[in-house]
Amino acid sequence: MLEVSSYSAGYQGNDVVHDVSFHVDVGEAVMIIGSNGAGKTTLFRSICGLQPKTSGEVLFQEEDIAGMPAQRIVRRGLGFVPAERHLFPRMTVQEHLSLGAYPKRPDPETMSIVLDLFPRLAERQRQHAGTMSGGEQQMLAVGRALMSRPRLLVLDEPTTGLAPKLAREAYEALGVLRNQGLTVLVAEQQVPLAMAFSDRGYVLENGLIRLEGTSAELAENPDVRRAYLGVT
Amino acid sequence: MTAQILDGIVFGLQLGLLASGLTLVYGLGGVLNLAYGQMAVISAMVVLFAMDAGISLWPAVGLGLLAGGLLGLFLDLTILRPVYRLRGEARVLLSLLLTLGVAFIVDGFLNWRFPLNSLSLHVGGGAVEIFGVPMRRGSLVASAITLVAFAALFVFFRYTTLGRAVRSVIEDEEGARLVGIDPRRMLRLILVLSGVLAAVVAMTRSMVAPVDVQSGFSITVFALIVTVVGGLGSVPGALLAGVILGIVNSIAATHIGTFLSLIILLGAAAVTILIRPSGLLGVKE
Repeated sequence: MLEVSSYSAGYQGNDVVHDVSFHVDVGEAVMIIGSNGAGKTTLFRSICGLQPKTSGEVLFQEEDIAGMPAQRIVRRGLGFVPAERHLFPRMTVQEHLSLGAYPKRPDPETMSIVLDLFPRLAERQRQHAGTMSGGEQQMLAVGRALMSRPRLLVLDEPTTGLAPKLAREAYEALGVLRNQGLTVLVAEQQVPLAMAFSDRGYVLENGLIRLEGTSAELAENPDVRRAYLGVT
Repeated sequence: MTAQILDGIVFGLQLGLLASGLTLVYGLGGVLNLAYGQMAVISAMVVLFAMDAGISLWPAVGLGLLAGGLLGLFLDLTILRPVYRLRGEARVLLSLLLTLGVAFIVDGFLNWRFPLNSLSLHVGGGAVEIFGVPMRRGSLVASAITLVAFAALFVFFRYTTLGRAVRSVIEDEEGARLVGIDPRRMLRLILVLSGVLAAVVAMTRSMVAPVDVQSGFSITVFALIVTVVGGLGSVPGALLAGVILGIVNSIAATHIGTFLSLIILLGAAAVTILIRPSGLLGVKE
């Protein structure tokens, strides 16, 4: 479904991500783990069209989307939830969800799936995003992305700023979506949660893919255990 | 005092609608359009020429509105193209310089060819008494049209998909792109809308006082002051600031003198920025 090859990106000539290749197959949940500053955010923002690439290819459903602006990529069925969420502070929950379906009218069936998944949003339809808690904002960001009925959902650190309980709940919701057949790619620092959730993973360090494997393999790897699972 | 307040509200509503066009373009695209007043003046001249050519009032008004919208589209397609390549402060500065150039050219041309032209739309009928103050019928019609325009803006931004999409770009451009909205297209739409608003204000203004070819810069300056006080990107802010400053202007003009009223408005704007840098209803950065 998504095939990234020899991808490099960064800021003003200084690459943060170097020659990265990875892929996500239909129905999979794939994680990219790495510490702060490893290049996860740059990689995701660039793939999703929010910042330019230096070189490389991104095939999404057999089409090269590398270098396409975000607004066109979204319409092809790739939903992106950035770490900073980028909600609209003075707009209501209901307005976010209906804009999520832009340019179409919101589909009532999708709307009820989203509201079933996040009952908190259903209770707060008229509340402004700017006045919501971090957990609610994260739900709204995911809900907004789901309204476009994406084939692939890409999330950059969905647990940023969330208390442990809310972080677990966030992954529970993602688990529900997976079971409904959604393909998911997630970047995460909270490795145990992501590991329990995903089928496969890649370890990104200093902008390079160092390791890859199934989540079970990575969980056994001594370097991964030391660096990301707090096992000494 | 009541008379001045009522006159102030009439003027203030127009100021608010005027500033709405400027503030939306700025809030949406970081573009400061200093040729805004000239857009209003050209629209007024289109109405004038159309009526001189024997076209009746309503079609002439329609042509004026069309001219305003086309001027916005024209700016978007021509002079603003290099501006869109820049971001942030550089974008504001280049837009300011280029549109100022357009304003000079338009003013120069109009003053050369049509120095004495001015548009006055006469609304017949006697004065109507409101709170014991006889108000000219033109003022009332102008205010009613302005209020209808505000109501239309409100419905557009609150209830239509397109209007919500425009707001989302003002709120968070990246967020808007992530739901599939192209900010450039929204900006083009809003430039057209701002041109239409400038035309509406020029026509309603001409029901109260003549709009002549020299009024371009003063219209822009008024719009700028109201925009700053109301908060960049906020239409409700523009309405509130417009009415407040309209009343201040009217009272100052009566008690202190017309010449000083603009200084007083500038002073009010300066004080607002000192107390609330984001304006009355603007977003805090």
